[in-house]
Amino acid sequence: MISYLKKADLPDLLQAWADKMDVLAPILEEGQISFTTWKGQPLDLSANALVSPAKIISPREEILFRYIQESGTYRFLRPDQKPRLIFGMRPCDLRALQVLDRIYGAPPPDQAYLDRRRSAVLAVLNCTNPGPGCFCAALGAGPDADEGYDLLFTDLGNGYLVESGSPAGIVLIKNSPDLLPAVSDLADSLLTDKGRVVGLCRDQVISSFPGMSVERIREGMESAEWERLGQICSYCAGCSFVCPVCHCFTIYDRGVPDGQRIRCADSCMTSGFSRLTSGSNPRPSQGDRLRNWYLDKFEYILARTGLAGCVGCGRCSQVCLSPDICLRSFLESLCSREMTTNKFADAGESKGEGKSIRK
Amino acid sequence: MDGREMRDYIPYQVEIVDIDRVTSDSYLISLQILDREVFRYRPGQFIMVSVFGLGECPISIASTPTRNTLQICIRRAGKITSGIMDSMIGDVLGVRGPCGNGFPLDFMKKDILIAGGGSGFATLRSLINFIADRREQFGNVAVAYGARTRQDLYFMQEYKGWQMAGIQVAVTVDVGDQGWTGNVGMVTSLLDRLEIPPGSAAICGPPVMINSVAARLMEKGFQLPDIFVSLERHMKCGVGKCEHCMIGPHHVCMEGPVFSYDRVRQYL
Amino acid sequence: MQTIPTTCIYCGCGCGLMLHVEEGRVVAASPQINHPLSQGHLCLKGWLAYQFLDHPDRLRRPMIRKGERLVPSSWDQALDLARDELSTLLRESGPASLGVLTSAKASNEENFLLMKLARAGLKTNNVDHVARLCHAPTLAALSSALGSGSMTNPIVSLRKSDMILVAGSNTTEQHPLVAFHILQARKTGAEIVVVDPRRTAMARLADLHLAPLPGTDAAWINGLLRAILDLGLEDRQFIEARTEGFEEARAALDPYTPQMVEQVTNIPADDLVLAASKLGSANRAAFVYAMGITQHYWGTDNVQALANLALATGNVGRDGTGIYPLRGHQNVQGACDMGALPDYYSGYQPVSSSRSRFERAWKTDLPAEIGLTAVEMMDAAQAGRIKGMIISGENPMLSFPDQTQVRAALEELDFLLVVDIFPTETARLANVVLPAASFAEKEGTFTSTERRVQLARGAVSPPGEAWPEWRIWADLLTRFEVDCLYESAAQIMEEIASLTPSYGGISHSRLGTGGLVWPCPNHDHPGTPILHVDSFPIGRARFRPVEYKAPSEKPDEEYPFLLTTGRSLFQFHTGTMTRRVPLLEREVPEPFLDISPPDARQLGLKDGTYISVESRRGRLIARARVTPDVNPGHLFLPIHFLEGPANLLTSRYRDPISGMPALKEAAVRLRRL
Ligand SMILES: Cc1cc2nc3c(=O)[nH]c(=O)nc-3n(C[C@H](O)[C@H](O)[C@H](O)COP(=O)(O)OP(=O)(O)OC[C@H]3O[C@@H](n4cnc5c(N)ncnc54)[C@H](O)[C@@H]3O)c2cc1C
Ligand code: SF4
Ligand code: SF4
Ligand code: SF4
Ligand code: FES
Repeated sequence: MISYLKKADLPDLLQAWADKMDVLAPILEEGQISFTTWKGQPLDLSANALVSPAKIISPREEILFRYIQESGTYRFLRPDQKPRLIFGMRPCDLRALQVLDRIYGAPPPDQAYLDRRRSAVLAVLNCTNPGPGCFCAALGAGPDADEGYDLLFTDLGNGYLVESGSPAGIVLIKNSPDLLPAVSDLADSLLTDKGRVVGLCRDQVISSFPGMSVERIREGMESAEWERLGQICSYCAGCSFVCPVCHCFTIYDRGVPDGQRIRCADSCMTSGFSRLTSGSNPRPSQGDRLRNWYLDKFEYILARTGLAGCVGCGRCSQVCLSPDICLRSFLESLCSREMTTNKFADAGESKGEGKSIRK
Repeated sequence: MDGREMRDYIPYQVEIVDIDRVTSDSYLISLQILDREVFRYRPGQFIMVSVFGLGECPISIASTPTRNTLQICIRRAGKITSGIMDSMIGDVLGVRGPCGNGFPLDFMKKDILIAGGGSGFATLRSLINFIADRREQFGNVAVAYGARTRQDLYFMQEYKGWQMAGIQVAVTVDVGDQGWTGNVGMVTSLLDRLEIPPGSAAICGPPVMINSVAARLMEKGFQLPDIFVSLERHMKCGVGKCEHCMIGPHHVCMEGPVFSYDRVRQYL
Repeated sequence: MQTIPTTCIYCGCGCGLMLHVEEGRVVAASPQINHPLSQGHLCLKGWLAYQFLDHPDRLRRPMIRKGERLVPSSWDQALDLARDELSTLLRESGPASLGVLTSAKASNEENFLLMKLARAGLKTNNVDHVARLCHAPTLAALSSALGSGSMTNPIVSLRKSDMILVAGSNTTEQHPLVAFHILQARKTGAEIVVVDPRRTAMARLADLHLAPLPGTDAAWINGLLRAILDLGLEDRQFIEARTEGFEEARAALDPYTPQMVEQVTNIPADDLVLAASKLGSANRAAFVYAMGITQHYWGTDNVQALANLALATGNVGRDGTGIYPLRGHQNVQGACDMGALPDYYSGYQPVSSSRSRFERAWKTDLPAEIGLTAVEMMDAAQAGRIKGMIISGENPMLSFPDQTQVRAALEELDFLLVVDIFPTETARLANVVLPAASFAEKEGTFTSTERRVQLARGAVSPPGEAWPEWRIWADLLTRFEVDCLYESAAQIMEEIASLTPSYGGISHSRLGTGGLVWPCPNHDHPGTPILHVDSFPIGRARFRPVEYKAPSEKPDEEYPFLLTTGRSLFQFHTGTMTRRVPLLEREVPEPFLDISPPDARQLGLKDGTYISVESRRGRLIARARVTPDVNPGHLFLPIHFLEGPANLLTSRYRDPISGMPALKEAAVRLRRL
């Protein structure tokens, strides 16, 4: 179904939804865009949020269940998920959810994830203002979405083209006929406009890292000097906490005799992640861990799900505490490789000795 | 594995019905499942054991499905393992599983060599007792087992029974003492003392030991795909989601813990 | 979902955090992109800064001692008991029998109120906090040299430096965001010289690493200055225009030839001269230091020597230059600013000269006699002279030197009131324990190491019946009949501003992203990131001659190793918070002892061997970590662990000027288990 929303009507539409469910939308908080419960605040759609809305579905921390002791044995309670609508999610983050769907959905499916996933309606916004570090196009993850959304918005200047991609999306359009009128007669010209807008954006994204692709990245990984890069890593784990695809977790308990079993984001960039009881570690150095992070994204997850484990959102590079070794530097080094030597492999050599920071 | 039972991370409840000391820092614990009639598993599988309030960790099943009681053997390693060992008969723990694949008995040859080092012996006990109970289905069976000292040897009182079932048993320790008259040295040093025609092998232990035993077995004519190893990895979910247990592209909790050696050799 | 901006609770960097709240629980922390210091980055602790919040160990109810046990009580009961006990002691033994330790974790408002309670309610100047254990020497030395005991420039100023001297600071682990800026500066051409007995990560990445013997800092700093003067690289103009006492200081440098320095410190003479020429020829040089300089018998002299160096090279008062004492705790700066010090009111207004101002404002008499420092209070307690104490958010049982004595001292008290978020080792000894709200559960300001006053906002409600600490002190003030009425932290800040010139223009409503940097004297003032631009608060900066004196304790036959203590990236202070964060605890779950490969070989130690570490004061067990990062003869132990409390071993010798204990000087011996 195709519809058109006047920009001035957006708050009314959000309000109509907010009456029924929790609407999460990009809102300016301390000068920074953040997906937050919408209560009439002005939206900021000028850039993507640092914390991906995919983290609403695959949160950094969630209660798996509560355990309650009753005369020696236990009773278990799983939390309910309330209905949510995420407005303004970008195509890259949608793609991240598609990767997670395949990982969490593989047998045995992960109920906690599915509960959150099914309780959320995704109103995706095609990208028209990519960030300087974005390379979604190289991975087929953006800047426009082709499937997986419930509703898809495209900014056409004065209003949004609104397309439905699921039964839930159709219902949402039908429920607000005043705000979201059907536009069958105009559909073709609106879709042409959309093609133009999206095409411009695509060109812009591609121009940041021309010729980039999963294959190029994998080639580059073969000659990267992981040990040396690992020695520069500051061990902040920010890359894995901020990545919308990263989903490794640990599970811990809080409370005796009653309490909660909680899962929280873990990071394969820490040494305790893989350390064994004996103290030995299958990935002993930070270089090993960095290499594993890349391998997982560009080989293992790809083999497992058919989609790359990176959607090109650029967030890991934005937070990296050792910017010389971030994914973005890696891509830049690949792009400039033809012209100069591999800067990425040289990072950290410039001066000093550069030995391992920590085992 | 029955997928539906693993999906929400909520464990079954099990009651501790018996506790036996195995060594100074390990106990054999017998469990009875409270909220379920049958619990089917294969030798080589493991379960996720919870102490509510402390957490959950992977533990090999030490018993054989041919007998009634579900048993685990715990060595004190940290918070959760200590919590399990400090529990008393009648206490309730949680169990998820069985997880992993177990030994591929259908694909294994009739002649079997079982080699274990250290505390990894629990999972092999399951296999040995299974073979002892179904002795007629197997051919020549030999067990080579090593621990650090005499005090660290697991299941000593069971060796007699295994031998009576026609299973060869040889043990060794790294460090001998006065009371020890047996072999001192690595597990590999036992391989020449046992009669082991080339067949299948099941190995569990530290990577160094796995590699050296496998190398020796290949010299003895074992084929690479017939050597099966049970691997230890850091594990949290047991269902292929948390990514702790990755070894290369493989999830040890789902595709393993038992692998044919040729699949994982490059990662050890 | 809500997103609440606040600041990180751990180190003095004061990074900007966003807390993400789902259904009343904080479920994530993420960086603030626009924060002037952290600029969208955090260290691992910061990313996980929320995870201890809903730990079941959190204190939820007030508790009072009944015999051996602490039993839950109502707030009224507990506060009444505290008032009764403290006022009985005050009446019977006088104000000198009471002592107060405030918290470098608590907000400025809370420190100010507790300071007020000590002075106006308990009538004592016996009020101090943990800074005594990190930067008391800084305060003493820099106040007298420059007229202000604080960091002179904001951390991002380092990005403009040509040369950065990092001394006694394991920056990548202890102040990760400072390290970030230093390393970024290095990329754009700044030279880095690290002086540290250990080969820290920063040392490895540096252009030059000098490894002095622990405790010999004054010698190499003097040597460096002498070499610079010999090379004629001092800044004559600056010295003449803006300082005094140079000639005297210069005269005292005579003995510190590179050869003499080599003998004392083990730093090769050539390296010292090389460092001197780098430093002397830099247009903008910066001096970054931390506990490796201050936690010594002669800590104040060490800092003064550094100040001499900065002044002689004209590296004060400009962007890219300056002196950067790195504060350990997120609000240790604020606790000092708020006058949680025995000799100063807020804003470093001396008790001696500013008493009448505060008496007028608080409408009560205030004590004139200078109070005791934290460590002196412990002595007095052990001697029975201090009988009642209030300890807020601090765990002296682990963090103070010579633990055996601290326990004895606290057990000796007639009455101990502890306020904390977790049941610490110290709380177990208390008569009354009051549960406090954590940084994410209250409003208040914190002042980072670069004098940046930032607002923390409540993201969730406190667990159980816990109160924000300021409410506790406000309540007790009323119970001590001090005239006051506070309904919010913002109101307390108004009082602070009215009484504290450097905070005069600060109010909660002005504090957006990145807050304000004091001095901020009035409501239109934008704050003062760089100090001493045109003049010093004392007119001219003062040189003071510094003499190298031997450390308080040296290795000998019986105790052949020199032990220094410090922190690891993954744990914080005594671990009260970090040890309850699963990922952090997993990284370093137990005490380790860094030992050099030759020493390990000689003792037959392997990586991971448990070993007993003994000093003249105590003994503990740690796991050896064999690493070339320490030199033979030198050992390093982190302070975070109850099961291996480093301060069982450390020495009680104190810097005679600042009262700083020599935490980084202890002779020990090792025994295999
Ligand atoms: C397939 C498998 C089968 C196992 N079978 C047995 C068994 O039969 N009996 C037995 O006693 N132990 C067994 N273990 C080991 C057992 O899981 C660990 O000892 C246990 O997880 C440690 O938890 P803890 O809380 O006691 O220790 P902790 O206090 O968590 O930590 C102690 C050390 O163990 C490491 N560790 C923590 N969690 C894990 C984990 N999930 N997996 C591996 N290492 C970890 C930590 O990094 C740390 O170095 C098995 C492990 C695996 C993977
Ligand atoms: S790896 Fe980096 S760029 Fe790729 S999806 Fe994750 S955060 Fe985005
Ligand atoms: S974000 Fe950068 S510094 Fe931090 S762990 Fe990842 S690679 Fe290392
Ligand atoms: S550097 Fe300090 S303030 Fe910044 S995130 Fe880390 S601990 Fe917190
Ligand atoms: S244990 Fe979680 S993926 Fe294997």
